[in-house]
Amino acid sequence: MERALAARGAFDGVKIVEYATMVSGPYCGKLLADMGADVIKVEEPPSGDPARQRGPFPGDEPHPERSGLFLYLNTSKRGITLNLDRPDGLEAFRRLVAWADVLIDNHPPEGLESLGLGWDELRRQNPSLILASLTPYGRTGPRARAKGGELTSFHAGGLGNLLPTRSEDMSRPPIKAGGYPTGYSTGLTAAVAIAGALYGRRASGGGGRLIDVSEQEAILALVRTNVASTIYHRTAWSRVPERPPALGRLECKDGYVVALLIEDRHWRAFVDLMGNPEWASGPEWGTLFYRAGHLMEIADHIAEWAAQQSKEDVHHRGAAKGFAIGSVYSAEEVMNYRQHLARDYFVEVDHPEAGKARYAGWPYKMRASPPAVQRPAPLLGQHNREVLEDVLGFSADEFADLCRKGAAWKAGGQ
Amino acid sequence: MTNAAPLRGVRVLDFTWVWAGPYATMLLALLGAEVIKIESRGRMDIMRRMIVWPLFSPVPQEIPPNQGMSFGAINMNKLGVTINLEQPLGSDLVKRLVGVSDVVFENMRPGAMERSGLGYEELRRVNPKLIMLSSSARGATGPESHYAGYATVHHAVGGASYITGYPDGPPSTTFGDVDLVNATAAAFAVIAALHHRAATGEGQFIDYSQCEGVSSLIGEVLLDYEMNGRSPGRHANADELMAPHNVYQCWGVDRWVAIAVETDEEFAALARVMGRPELAADTRFVDAASRKRNEAEIDEIVSAWTRARDRDFIANMLVQEGIAAAPSRDADDLFHDPHLSARGALVEVDHPEVGVRRFAGAPWIMSGCDVEAVHAPLLGEHNDYVFRQLLGISEEELDGLQRDGVVQ
Repeated sequence: MERALAARGAFDGVKIVEYATMVSGPYCGKLLADMGADVIKVEEPPSGDPARQRGPFPGDEPHPERSGLFLYLNTSKRGITLNLDRPDGLEAFRRLVAWADVLIDNHPPEGLESLGLGWDELRRQNPSLILASLTPYGRTGPRARAKGGELTSFHAGGLGNLLPTRSEDMSRPPIKAGGYPTGYSTGLTAAVAIAGALYGRRASGGGGRLIDVSEQEAILALVRTNVASTIYHRTAWSRVPERPPALGRLECKDGYVVALLIEDRHWRAFVDLMGNPEWASGPEWGTLFYRAGHLMEIADHIAEWAAQQSKEDVHHRGAAKGFAIGSVYSAEEVMNYRQHLARDYFVEVDHPEAGKARYAGWPYKMRASPPAVQRPAPLLGQHNREVLEDVLGFSADEFADLCRKGAAWKAGGQ
Repeated sequence: MTNAAPLRGVRVLDFTWVWAGPYATMLLALLGAEVIKIESRGRMDIMRRMIVWPLFSPVPQEIPPNQGMSFGAINMNKLGVTINLEQPLGSDLVKRLVGVSDVVFENMRPGAMERSGLGYEELRRVNPKLIMLSSSARGATGPESHYAGYATVHHAVGGASYITGYPDGPPSTTFGDVDLVNATAAAFAVIAALHHRAATGEGQFIDYSQCEGVSSLIGEVLLDYEMNGRSPGRHANADELMAPHNVYQCWGVDRWVAIAVETDEEFAALARVMGRPELAADTRFVDAASRKRNEAEIDEIVSAWTRARDRDFIANMLVQEGIAAAPSRDADDLFHDPHLSARGALVEVDHPEVGVRRFAGAPWIMSGCDVEAVHAPLLGEHNDYVFRQLLGISEEELDGLQRDGVVQ
């Protein structure tokens, strides 16, 4: 059906320097690198990206080359170590930025400035550079220099205040969603902006751009519908336990399912799944408006029914009836989920230090330009020689000199 | 060299509804693409008339079609046309639009576009370079491709709900944010496909799975199973390494401040601000590992201090000291945050039916991206422009199409 074409990455030929740590900037770099961009990650010695200190680790033994967080977020990149506190290390960094189409930076705005590489200087050196600056609160405004991070930005952006859903105890705090939702969302947001800016340059030329992405606003962006509805329709903004008529979470005997029954026919299908019990079968239950007012009256009955079911049974029988329902899957269940497996969602990656593992893949299947892990995450300083000599044109002697003086640094010497 | 909005000149036909699709195409519009949203009176985006989480109330739950403000928040800067896809002439009209467009974006149930004669194979015959993205609950292939879903279900199936909640409580989904984050990833895929087309001349079909979209955002959690055969649980606000790292109750009703302490210096500063400088030298809290080990004690000490104090006052004081601290903000807080206002993060649009409204704008500030916020389209607002000017349909023909109910 398709004409055969050699697989090609959508961002083949795009040159990116990633001066970023932890989640937001690195995830942004990964998204572009997995689609073919040449991403060179710059880490600072001696320990590099602090994500390397975070788990999971095989056997729970911390090791900078075996952090699951780092390994996932840095696929397809080359990695170098530069000591930016040394003039020769900084000079190498300048040359790298002059080479690049894009610089991804998630340090505070004053970070590059203190290196003498503020935006004005960067664009002077490389007029077509796209600088993506990912910071807790953005580069402008009264909180531009306030410290922030995963937890505080999630709550500053408004999503934390809504969680957990159906909280039964108001004296317990609102929470962050699990994992690194702020970092991932911010990285994804920046990737859209960078891809857009690059397209503009490809299609119609144009100069460099500064892209200012705030973690707080990346989260705000995701609750924008809730904000608008709360402000203008005075709907609830809260984690209260009772929220009819959505059914939400049900506890089965072996775990949880989540269902959402908005349309009347979906409600009827759910009642049918329960075996049409008398307490839910009256015609009055057929309207959303009635359910909105009365669902809590039969919530205990529904809970009793659910407690006798197995979640997968309810999940698949419910889905077959056409309503929105799914099991709450653990990591183990996700890794064995038949739909993900059938779609070849996972990617096996073989890393020289961490060994083989299946990584999460990409939610977009693109026939003509499929994303792929081009190479496993870089070891600390793995590509120092390759990048400094082949990309930046340092001679072998110059490179040796940089290593000796500690400008380009690698564990165990280079 | 001057810059303009980078996707200017790209035209997107938008068949999406609810949240996961519309926000994606709005992001493309905010980058300069011309997005034409296609609806009909019989099949309009249901969010036009809905509010988020209808509450039990004697007030009618449905609102006029142009006035649902969650619709307004994710459909800005689009053009709106009405075409009845159930009529053959409606499909023909769509195909004429496909002929002059770059991207088709849809999030109906898998198979729905095909049933209207508007599947990818059909449309690429009209426009061989077409990029088409179909966003569905679980993807267009596999044994569960026909399953229906909403954001909360995807969150559960993708593995994110299991890790969200209190350690001693049930798992928690989040909300429509799941749709919006999936929309962001889908927008990225579309722009990537535009790059591929620019380089090779080749369009393509993109099959987007929203459950996979959730799994891709918990990569390290899934690797824990791969590495150690275990499934991470729920940790509320806790961090693997940092303490204090929590959300603390403040004076008032439902007032909370998030505080995250990374370094020993920050902890010493916090101790000083709390009037307890001796804590910095306390062996229980002397370094990150000790603080993490004694997290419960530290949380009790910080809570005792925050409970009697104002949330914003605490946040401001700690930020001055270089500590990450922020109120846990609700909608009103966001709406009145002077920092967000100073950055123009909330944009004003003048809506013809309801007047001036403020919405979250683009989630980036990009130099040279000259897109001004415009209100979400009224139903059929741009029929004239799209059919007459873009397609060059004569007034008589358009009258006929309207009379026959093709353009409603």
